[in-house]
Amino acid sequence: MRLVPKQIETLWTLFTAPVVWAAHFLVCYIGAAIYCAKPELVELSFSAVRAGIAAATVIALSLIALSAWLAWQQWGFGTDDPPHDDPTRRDRTLFQGFATLLLSGLSFIAVIFTALPALFLTECIR
Amino acid sequence: MSAAVKERSREEYKAQEERLRAVWANPAGWRYWTSVNNYQIGLWYGSAAFAFMLFAGALALLMRLQLAVPDNDFLSADFFNQAFTLHGTVMMFLFAVPIFEAVAIFLLPPMLGAREMPFPRLGAFSFWSFLLGGIFVCGSIFFNAAPSAGWFMYPPLATDKEFSGIGADIWLLGLSFIEVASIAAAVELIVGIMKCRAPGMRINLMPLFAWYLLIVAGMILFAFPPLIAGDLLFEMERMFDWPFFDAARGGDPLLWQHLFWIFGHPEVYIIFLPAIALMAMIVPTFSQRPIVGYSWIVLAAVGTGFLSFGLWVHHMFATGLPQISLAFFSAASEAVAIPTGVQIFVFIATMLAGRVIFSTPMLFGTGGLAIFVIGGLTGVMVALAPFDWQAHDTYFVVAHLHYVLIGGMLFPVVAGLYYYYPLIDAKKLSDLLGRLAFWLMFCGFNIAFFPMHLSGLRGMPRRVFTYPAEIGWDWLNLISTAGAFIFAAGVLVVVFDVIRPKHRQPRGEFNPWNAGTLEWISEPEENWGVRSIPIVRSRYPLWDQRDLARKVNEGRYYLPDAEEGWREGLVTSVLDAEPIQVLRVGGTSHVTIVSALSLGAAFIALTFHWWIATALASIICFCAVIYWLWTGTGEIPEKPDKDVGLGLSLPLYASGSDSVGWWAMFITMVGDGTAFASLVFGYFFYWTIHADFTAGIAGPDAVWSLIAASLFAAAWGLMVAARTVNRRGTTATMRGLLVLSLLTTVAASAAGLAAPLSPGMDPTRHVYPAIVWILVIWVLAHAALGTVMQAYCLARSLAGRLTPNHDMDLGNVVLYWHFLLIAAVITFAIIGLFPAAM
Amino acid sequence: MGRYFSLSAASLLLASGSAGAQSVASTQSALEPAGAEAQQVAMLFWVMLSGGAVLWLGVVGLLLHAALVNRRRLAEKSASRVILWGGVVFPSVTLCALLAYALWLMPGLRPFAQASPAALRIEVTGKQFWWDVVYHPAQGPPVASANEIRLPVGERVELTLKSADVIHSFWIPPLGGKMDMIPGRSNRLSIMATKPGIFRGPCAEYCGTSHALMAFSAVAMAPEAFRSWLAVQAIPAEGAGASGGALFLRHGCGSCHSVAGTDARGLIGPDLSHVGSRATVAAGILPNTEDAVARFIARPDLIKPGSSMPAFDMLPPDDIRAIAAWLRGLR
Repeated sequence: MRLVPKQIETLWTLFTAPVVWAAHFLVCYIGAAIYCAKPELVELSFSAVRAGIAAATVIALSLIALSAWLAWQQWGFGTDDPPHDDPTRRDRTLFQGFATLLLSGLSFIAVIFTALPALFLTECIR
Repeated sequence: MSAAVKERSREEYKAQEERLRAVWANPAGWRYWTSVNNYQIGLWYGSAAFAFMLFAGALALLMRLQLAVPDNDFLSADFFNQAFTLHGTVMMFLFAVPIFEAVAIFLLPPMLGAREMPFPRLGAFSFWSFLLGGIFVCGSIFFNAAPSAGWFMYPPLATDKEFSGIGADIWLLGLSFIEVASIAAAVELIVGIMKCRAPGMRINLMPLFAWYLLIVAGMILFAFPPLIAGDLLFEMERMFDWPFFDAARGGDPLLWQHLFWIFGHPEVYIIFLPAIALMAMIVPTFSQRPIVGYSWIVLAAVGTGFLSFGLWVHHMFATGLPQISLAFFSAASEAVAIPTGVQIFVFIATMLAGRVIFSTPMLFGTGGLAIFVIGGLTGVMVALAPFDWQAHDTYFVVAHLHYVLIGGMLFPVVAGLYYYYPLIDAKKLSDLLGRLAFWLMFCGFNIAFFPMHLSGLRGMPRRVFTYPAEIGWDWLNLISTAGAFIFAAGVLVVVFDVIRPKHRQPRGEFNPWNAGTLEWISEPEENWGVRSIPIVRSRYPLWDQRDLARKVNEGRYYLPDAEEGWREGLVTSVLDAEPIQVLRVGGTSHVTIVSALSLGAAFIALTFHWWIATALASIICFCAVIYWLWTGTGEIPEKPDKDVGLGLSLPLYASGSDSVGWWAMFITMVGDGTAFASLVFGYFFYWTIHADFTAGIAGPDAVWSLIAASLFAAAWGLMVAARTVNRRGTTATMRGLLVLSLLTTVAASAAGLAAPLSPGMDPTRHVYPAIVWILVIWVLAHAALGTVMQAYCLARSLAGRLTPNHDMDLGNVVLYWHFLLIAAVITFAIIGLFPAAM
Repeated sequence: MGRYFSLSAASLLLASGSAGAQSVASTQSALEPAGAEAQQVAMLFWVMLSGGAVLWLGVVGLLLHAALVNRRRLAEKSASRVILWGGVVFPSVTLCALLAYALWLMPGLRPFAQASPAALRIEVTGKQFWWDVVYHPAQGPPVASANEIRLPVGERVELTLKSADVIHSFWIPPLGGKMDMIPGRSNRLSIMATKPGIFRGPCAEYCGTSHALMAFSAVAMAPEAFRSWLAVQAIPAEGAGASGGALFLRHGCGSCHSVAGTDARGLIGPDLSHVGSRATVAAGILPNTEDAVARFIARPDLIKPGSSMPAFDMLPPDDIRAIAAWLRGLR
């Protein structure tokens, strides 16, 4: 059984990794914001927030890694270098794969950046 | 081939050309202004935006004069405040965003090998709305009634009538109107780029300009609606005293800041990316080679598009939010520098791999980048919360944002003007004047803005109409003022170069820069864009496809003729641009002007609380739009298919997700959904800031809420059934279902109204009833529009314009109902159930 | 002209007077730090500035080289490598390091020590276009003041920041970053002066017509001097020339202003109990001289457009002068 179809014929796969980044960002920001505004809602310490952020980060990074792997596959495992500018379906697919891979890389870095605050800040501070 | 046959084919060719020319011709005389052709609209749009820029620039010079020396009384405090508010507002809303829409409308069709944008009348509507709204907002300063609360309009300064006059209403209504126009432009751009490219222009061959614009249009779709939602809350407070931002009644000024900056920061990139897109066209041409790192640009555009939505709180670092929140936004703000840097290195790499001709456009381009990099570096600095606590709202930020916007946007736009001017007039602008303008602008800019970094760090706040002597800012400000005038002189040289008469200059050569992209085929004298729609096989077809220009102009490709007298273009598939349909677009029409002007009149009348005039103008606008839709859209063609040339025959009608109308509806509703989501965000925002956000007020009735949600679901089900039944050919049943659905919608709306009405929620008393009411009103207004659509479909069916095979209208309305259902269910579930759950 | 009073003059005045400030430096610059936070942030700035300058020279140098000098067509593969290393790897690493540096700074800059509350809390409320100040020392009653903040050197002071009308922002550049004052919200700021001095603080969030004319002076004093100053502030002052005091009350000034020890208990305008001891009047824009006070009483609308204080130029000039003289004496 395949989790993801082998050949995805859509433009939307390009946006997978950035969407994961956006979801991760929102989870971290909204989670922390609600915790800091209504600490009485959940009777947990700030370490729980940090643990939550860590968990969200691991999940997000795995999803992005998955997206990157699929993109790498779409790019023929890197066998064919850019510019991918032939007027063929093959080159169009390779281009999609390569661009998706690049976006996965950027999203990966951005997720790590977003998670950094949880390393340094140990309370809401306001 | 015999001479007779040759003769005949030449005659036929002439006749073809004449027919095509006649179909695309502009009307003569005063009717010229009813043109909807993308070249005209683009040119008008661009000229108007440029004129607004000069106006805002003049305001800036007045402000610089006032600040030249300490304790100056050249301008009054009040005039200065109006001037800086208008300067920011006009530069952002009336220059930076519209100029890119103008360039896009002008350039995209020829660049994509299309004849027109998919909705030319919508483009014209957007332009007239923009022009009217812009004149209204700018004109207010001549009556001393301009907004004076800053372009960011923070409440309560801007909402409380004690602190601000009619200027705030002018800002709000004038700009809401322009925001709607921007969303209309975004819809047009997305559909144009995704569906109207020349056959063979796969997404890996698409010009980078189109990639950028696709992303930017998508950003508009998610960035502008939160501001529109904010505007709605804002105007409800000003007009009807609903306390969304009034702390005394549970409101919070910070909600506006969130909504404004969720728009405001992506806005910076909405401005910046299209200008860099121009660079992505200019650099390869003058490096005489294809761009290196095409995919990297796509990465950068998409990456920036996403990351730019995670930055908004960096405008709110000093508002006292928890530092952990600030830190996330610092992080994202640092991350966005990566894709920005990638673009600069793509240009450097392309130049390194090519042989550079250092022309005037390149001069402006590289000069702009040198400036922009400084803005980027200071951006990295102010993105860090601790540094921003010092720099925020000082002249350091004034310097930063001008380095970003002038280096990243104005210089590239001028580069684009010098580059693309031959497409407007078939002549080049003067190299000499261009270089003179560049050095004046470059030096003047740096003299004006570099010292501001220092004045800011020395503690000079923004938006001060004067400052004391001997505090260390005197000579810095004097230098800035001198630089501003040098810069302005440079801009005037550009203006002179553009408007100086050029009739003595000979017509320039075809494709004067030897560029590789398709737009250089089009001739300024012709309105049809391309003589025939080519098959594209390269990123730089003019370099790689020999004879392409000749064959296009000989009408050897698709649609070289207009036998039936329609303006026609091709619709192609998203990924591989395979031709799938012939699209007939609307031609010259008054209806765009009438609907734009009446909509504008409605907004203006609303500003002054002239209720009757508002109602009248709205009715005119409504009728105009219905007439427009009825006569100009979903037309049933006289034959199902058409021979488009090269042995290909394509359908003339499509419905459902094959039609461009469906896409437009989908995109519009995504924007609409974003505005709705912003209101929902508001609801939960109030929940987080208060211990008990209901303030003890009885909430909406849960039973009525659930009844309303169920009835909306039923109405939606009936709509879906109506579409299915219609496809099966049972028209009478379809009509019955439509009527039934309409009645159910009315009942659902009544139930929805009863939910907040039965406990007697008073929206002026506290923010809780106000936010509940605004959600309910949102759904009810959409439901009302939904019933209009149902009635419209019914009428179309009765008039024989909606048949089992031609059901585009019904398909689009059902799509609207999907979104309406989501909004209704979410709204009534939240307002009915959430307070109890908490 | 002459709307402003330069602060170097203010510091001279203070140094010669009884205020007890040890240094006479007076500045609004974030680059001359005299507080814990400002010092760290200035350091951060210099680090970023030097890094930024190197980067700018590098990028622009490369750009110019590519555009003007380079005549060797680089292979596409090598050019792509320029993008990868210059555009992605290098910025990612640098930015990550910079971000970590700033995040590492953050918790220490404004430590709102929950364990040990600050010895001194000052509540500042922004109003169009002035500052209402109340000192809450650990012991003793609250002390009301306006348009001037005094604080002990070397001790953490906690500020409670509020607004009575629109959004303002509280900022003393040499001591630390700013914090907004937002209606309906109460923000906290923690500052610590490390050097004595007189600093100028402007309103940093646009707040209406006379936003430019809303400032205050911040005086960092030796802790003992500060405590004795606060003790003096807690008891009513004697104005000079009783007639001025009587006129002050007779003309209704007391319905807006408070002067401790008198019947003037208004809460609309600034507290004037010790106005004579302040460096400036009219929220940091006029020197504290009899003449300036008199001019302000007569036509506040000319000096500060949009101010809510009405003009009193219908009063006899001698009355205004007497009131001004009396106020000057409230030290």
